Amino acid sequence: MRYSFFRGCFIPVRFPHIEKVAEMTLPRLGVELVPVEGFTCCPEPIGVTVNHPLAALAVSARNLALAEEQGHDIITLCNGCAYTLKQANEALKADGELRERVNSVLEEDGHRYRGTVEVHHFAPVLVDRVGLDRVEAAVERPLTGLKVASHTGCHILSPPDIMGFDDPRDPVKLDRMMEALGATPLDYAYKTQCCGWTLSNYGDRGDASRLLGDKLNAMRGAGADSVNVICPQCLAQLDTGQMLAARSLKLGFRLPALFYLQYLALAMGYSLEEAGCDRHRVRDQGFEEKLRRTLA
Amino acid sequence: MPYVRWSLKGSAEAAEVCFMCGVCCAVPEYGCPAQYGSRFTPRHTYVYDCLAAERPSSNPSIWLCVSCHKCEELCPYEVSPIRFIETMKQVALEEGAAPDPATAEIEQVVNTGYAFPVTPNTARHREELGLEPIQPTGELKRIAEATGLRGPVR
Repeated sequence: MRYSFFRGCFIPVRFPHIEKVAEMTLPRLGVELVPVEGFTCCPEPIGVTVNHPLAALAVSARNLALAEEQGHDIITLCNGCAYTLKQANEALKADGELRERVNSVLEEDGHRYRGTVEVHHFAPVLVDRVGLDRVEAAVERPLTGLKVASHTGCHILSPPDIMGFDDPRDPVKLDRMMEALGATPLDYAYKTQCCGWTLSNYGDRGDASRLLGDKLNAMRGAGADSVNVICPQCLAQLDTGQMLAARSLKLGFRLPALFYLQYLALAMGYSLEEAGCDRHRVRDQGFEEKLRRTLA
Repeated sequence: MPYVRWSLKGSAEAAEVCFMCGVCCAVPEYGCPAQYGSRFTPRHTYVYDCLAAERPSSNPSIWLCVSCHKCEELCPYEVSPIRFIETMKQVALEEGAAPDPATAEIEQVVNTGYAFPVTPNTARHREELGLEPIQPTGELKRIAEATGLRGPVR
């Protein structure tokens, strides 16, 4: 399985360790990440795309055209990138007039959107293409006994007719993905609630912290050792955002948030440091000791 | 999809159907996240604040929307508040009424190709991990010109 590797913005700029861990783990499952020269921001859906859809559509079409020139489907590590690029791809495929308008902009730079590639987030690639049995077979050290609260995030679930990953009201795919690694998934209230990342950027950080506090308390109440995410903005909110919320709300616990590929790396035999867990703001000795015992 | 569904007229007509039942903002566990704003109440919800403002495009509340689609999925009358709110953001940008964080982010993307500033910390971190350095690009400037985005932002 070869994919044009759409790294996005947030991961290569703020969380390069997630890009690294993707390169360490996905090829071991037969997912080849082919670098593409010239990809730009998808562009970011909430701050850019909705404010000027035509310009955003042209930027997305340019990214899609670059993958078409390479001949592979796109794989992303980010809910936002998948959300933007999948919607742009569907809009352009469905509307010939829009396609021509956008192509007239791209042609000056020698690109042309044709509608010949698909866009995939890595999570549906693992579930639907690689298969969780193959993920399970790659596990060398199962995460037995680790209780994990998964947060799927908004933009890989909705709109469901386009994103098609899981039920927006009752998402369970991430739970199955954690089970494949030997961990115990947890159900909790606020499971489908937004992480609040955009709210903290455009609104009041205190409001975003109260939302996050409710979510974290629900996870902790369900008995979670840690959090699982598949989107870098969710990771930023549940890690750095949690650190800030813990101060203002005086939370009495720390709930480390890891990207799914970090759990996968740990289960494949990498150390906490190799998986980049030392780069996170919220660290908990109890969690790390439990993991080291499990992985010993 | 913002590119094909979000016409001003259609969005406004859909918004007129809203009769303030408040379902989209009623339940914190799975409702509208912007309802956490301290000025919103069960009787004056975030969504109602956006839909019923006298000049919706200059209402600062619209910028709290995170485009999570919860309101669209919960609405029993297919109002799709997200559609109206996103359309109002477009109008605000055209009117020059978008707030600084929004225009700054758009400028960042147009001028560098990345939505987030590439800092010396980024370069150091990437080098430590043996990853290629990031090359900011101005290639999107021409797209911004050709699609009319240059007007609203610098």
